[in-house]
Amino acid sequence: MADAVNKQKQDLSSLNEDYASRYGFRDPVDYFHKGAKGINHEVVEMISRMKKEPRWMTEVRHQALDVFLSKPTPRWGNTELLGEIDYDDIYYFMKPIENQQASWDDVPEYIKKTFDRLGIPEAEQKFLGGVSAQYESEVVYHSMQEDLKKQGIIFLDMDSGLREHPDIVRKFFGTVIPATDNKYAALNTSVWSGGSFIYVPPGVEVRAPLQAYFRINAENMGQFERTLIIADKGSRVHYIEGCTAPVYSTDSLHSAVVELIALEGAYIRYTTIQNWSRNIYNLVTKRSTAHKNATVEWVDGNLGSRLTMKYPCIQLVGEGARGEILSVALAGKDQHQDAGAKVIHAAPNTSSRITSKSISKDNGRATYRGLAKVHKNAANCRISVECDALLIGEQARSDTYPTMEIDNDRVRVEHEARVSKVAEEQLFYLRSRGLSEDEARLLIVNGFMEPFTKELPLEYAVELNRLIALEMEGSVG
Amino acid sequence: MRNSKTEYMIPEKAPELQQGPEWLKKQRRQQRETFNSLPLPQRGLQLWRYTDPARFVFERISDDIAVNGRFEAAKTVEQKHLRNGRLTGLITDVAGREITAHGFEEITAGGGQVSSLATAVETHFALVEPYLYSLVNAQTGKFEAMNGALWHDGIFLYIPDNLAIEKPIHLLRQAGGPGSAAFPRLLVVAGKNAEVTLIDEYGGGPADDTNGAAYSNAAVEIMAQDDSRVRYISLQRQTAGTRFYLTHRARIGRGAQMLTVPLAFGGALSKQNFGVILDGPGADSRMYGLLFGSRHQHFDNHTLHHHAAGQTYSNINFKVVLRDRALSAYTGLIRIDRAAPGCEAYQENRNLLLNDGTRAETIPELEILNEDVSCSHGATLGPIDPLLTFYLGSRGIPGPEAVRMIVGGFVADTLKLVPEDIRERISGFVDERLEAL
Repeated sequence: MADAVNKQKQDLSSLNEDYASRYGFRDPVDYFHKGAKGINHEVVEMISRMKKEPRWMTEVRHQALDVFLSKPTPRWGNTELLGEIDYDDIYYFMKPIENQQASWDDVPEYIKKTFDRLGIPEAEQKFLGGVSAQYESEVVYHSMQEDLKKQGIIFLDMDSGLREHPDIVRKFFGTVIPATDNKYAALNTSVWSGGSFIYVPPGVEVRAPLQAYFRINAENMGQFERTLIIADKGSRVHYIEGCTAPVYSTDSLHSAVVELIALEGAYIRYTTIQNWSRNIYNLVTKRSTAHKNATVEWVDGNLGSRLTMKYPCIQLVGEGARGEILSVALAGKDQHQDAGAKVIHAAPNTSSRITSKSISKDNGRATYRGLAKVHKNAANCRISVECDALLIGEQARSDTYPTMEIDNDRVRVEHEARVSKVAEEQLFYLRSRGLSEDEARLLIVNGFMEPFTKELPLEYAVELNRLIALEMEGSVG
Repeated sequence: MRNSKTEYMIPEKAPELQQGPEWLKKQRRQQRETFNSLPLPQRGLQLWRYTDPARFVFERISDDIAVNGRFEAAKTVEQKHLRNGRLTGLITDVAGREITAHGFEEITAGGGQVSSLATAVETHFALVEPYLYSLVNAQTGKFEAMNGALWHDGIFLYIPDNLAIEKPIHLLRQAGGPGSAAFPRLLVVAGKNAEVTLIDEYGGGPADDTNGAAYSNAAVEIMAQDDSRVRYISLQRQTAGTRFYLTHRARIGRGAQMLTVPLAFGGALSKQNFGVILDGPGADSRMYGLLFGSRHQHFDNHTLHHHAAGQTYSNINFKVVLRDRALSAYTGLIRIDRAAPGCEAYQENRNLLLNDGTRAETIPELEILNEDVSCSHGATLGPIDPLLTFYLGSRGIPGPEAVRMIVGGFVADTLKLVPEDIRERISGFVDERLEAL
């Protein structure tokens, strides 16, 4: 065992890189379009016009902007950091190139280099069914395996989705997350650009995962991708997204809206590995609707960003629907991961499980914020919520704010949470087996994260372990 | 709702503002100013999500403090206990206005003090002034400021260092008549290595008395100094129409042990906030609560364990039983400060829902700012396991009795954590609620 850990240690030291060099590089870019900073109705009109959108979408955007402007900043959560966002100092729309490319060779060299460095084409060849790469506001590269197209699967960036399938988009857009839901959902609805649009026809199973990669390059950039996934009756799909950005001294805003609809008997898994640089505010609304006997799973990993506020939600609206949320947060220096999960049981015989794992390190703060709600008519529900938090370092902080609202007596709800440091006995045992304290600690942390990593495709699990190891380096003393 | 005015301001001429020595008048004026300047708490904020704060702004329209027959009956029973040597003392408190003490020879002989708070502020400046408003005051919130300005009279207890009082002290309090508003206040100072048990009973009548429509806003401050042992049982048996608001805070010093038992049975609307601040190494706080709700009763309970010092221990077990259309919202916060290593904190909240139509909300919260900690919480909600009733039915035990047995077993778990002498005192009140099921 010591050998294995030593091997990992060696890999680590040979890496000898940190975020800045791995993901933190930046490209000097001549943007095809770069508007002015700030947000108003003219900006919204301009975005919509450049995208040649139907009038109804332009109207949706304008109405959402009014909602955004009228809603106050949330009075809960990290109000101090939220108050620091200067909405007038953000670019709301940046178009890097004129047209999206379907061939990797046609992507401009600097962007290609970016995604090459991030390992995207490699991953595509290895195990993905389709890939979408978004740079600033728009998707710059998109490809999907031929056989998936033949099965009638639609996997497009959201802008193309609206152009090519306006009826489906109009039917579902904003139905799971209306613009009035919260300030950031309203902001996204008014200036959204990019994101993924996926439709899986009835009974079709997408065997290899579909992936989107989101990259913010510019300073003071706002990225507002919009994702809509519809799994028709009895279909199955797994979607993965990853996010990074360069390190800047001023902050950028990422505010996505993700809507999932799993129709009768369908299955959707949505995996996120968020590794934004520590100058990104990541304020995301993610929600899904699970119809009769459908299953939705969110696998949500939060490693990066300065402040993340994200609570993936599953609305179980059909009998027999099932939901599972696995949320992991790693809060390092100066980070606040305010993550969590929501399950809303609105139909009988539905079940859900939430597992949350968080590590707070240095002066990092990890918050679990959750909701488990059972409506009156939802008899025979089962909910189980489990939160585990690990604290490393004297300045670390962990908060747990679960809320359970139960309006039906025929339910079983269980909630458990634990907060602890790395146990002295475990460290002692591992050290008695010849491991250094650093190695022992890393091993324990990896074990703590295992329920999450084992749900990831292998390449991602390896990457995640590497990130954790980097984060943990020198954490002793 | 009748008599609630959200824009109510405490008038400058309120008679209570003129009561007491100069330092107290100044305090009262400050509390009034804070009350008048603070807006109502926002509904979106955690502690007010399930209860409309406007329902606690109450302008008194009656000074009716006539005691009802049930209060007299309860008083007779407690006086008998006092005569039989089962109590150290009995204090009756009518609407936070008429305070009468019976017994207490053991405490006064030992150098302690038992008196009405209005008397104590005049005669025991050194014992009262440092502590009054130190834990529950305008900074705590708008309604705490309201009590701070308008309390008329209260109860003061001082147990000197090293005095151990074995038998409990019973505080029997009654809210006023319909349209009246009471602002009861309690200040307890337990000296080093002192020991005392308090049973603080609000209401003094069975929960089925429906003729009260009174308002009561109470404040409780307990200072438990190093190595003291204090047991505080809060028995809320308000009459059925009463709106009740209570904020309790205890600060416990090095090596002190605190047992808090909140029992919430009565009232139409009851919002109670129990908090213990563990302020010295070795401090140990346990809180074992029970709540029974029926009809349209609305309960909103908070507990707080604030670990301000290292090497401290806390444990909460809070059980809720609901039937009819009753609602219970429970928020429990464990906070561990940065400067408090080596703490252990546990919290458990279980909710038993006896029929459809009940509502239970539970929010067990943790705020941990120190890595050297062992902390956990658990919450469950659910109905009676149908297998249990089926089994009891097969043994010839009819439905309603089976339910009583099962609920009895559910709460017995918590009751058996309470020391035996106290358990005996409170199990009568619990049985009374069980029989009403």
